[in-house]
Amino acid sequence: MSETHGHHPKPKTPTEQRVEAIEALLVERGLITSDVVDAIVETYERDVGPMNGARVVARAWADPEYRARLLDDGTRAVGELGFGGAEGEHLVVLENTEDVHNVVVCTLCSCYPWPVLGLPPQWYKSSAYRSRMVREPRAVLDEFGTSVADDVELRVWDSSAEVRYMVLPLAPDDVTDRSEDELAGLVTRDHMIGVVR
Amino acid sequence: MNDDQPPEDIPRRNGELVFDAPWESRAFGLAAAYLEASGQDWEAFRTQLMAAIADLPDTTPYYEAWVVALDRLLATDGLAARS
Repeated sequence: MSETHGHHPKPKTPTEQRVEAIEALLVERGLITSDVVDAIVETYERDVGPMNGARVVARAWADPEYRARLLDDGTRAVGELGFGGAEGEHLVVLENTEDVHNVVVCTLCSCYPWPVLGLPPQWYKSSAYRSRMVREPRAVLDEFGTSVADDVELRVWDSSAEVRYMVLPLAPDDVTDRSEDELAGLVTRDHMIGVVR
Repeated sequence: MNDDQPPEDIPRRNGELVFDAPWESRAFGLAAAYLEASGQDWEAFRTQLMAAIADLPDTTPYYEAWVVALDRLLATDGLAARS
């Protein structure tokens, strides 16, 4: 904190001070410990993310029976692979086909299927994405470099209080020639949100 | 982008870092820890977050709305942090 090295530490913003005050209060009341907060943050930064969803997609591509279970009850099927928890209690998996493309948004805040995709990227939470994806989805997809042909039906899904959505993208043509690990490597977060086809 | 950007070498298996600054991850972790400790699910927080986002200007950074929502949830539960 000394300024003798020529460093001028940036003064804390009111919001940063607020966060510190909240932590101090909750620790003081014995409700939480800072170690618990550290562990939660580390989990979401390192262990929970779209690599989980990619495993789910790869399994669904490789195993038609798993795919059927996934489309029938997303929460239960991802649980088979060990994924579950907060914001995954009512997971619905949306299947892309040659004729249908699905894309997910949360218009009111930032609802997102954490167990399979981790925490949402910044743009997903922006007011621009939240409002425009409903109003002009093809224009927004275009900005992601995704063009959906006019004869493909575009379905925009607004996450509601309960349901969290994940898109099951189209499998590559050579799906049967590839291992599940290879398949998982093809799947990105953006495929599973639906901003990439 | 700014001084709060974490160094490049932080592991990012998520493809990108989900937090832009340490206080953002702290705010996230505090909400999760508090809900767990108080036996509430995320729905309790989400309701406050939706309201905060609706109340604040569109340009408000997401995690600032998050902190407002957390503050309001704590106030609802009779826990008011001193400023």
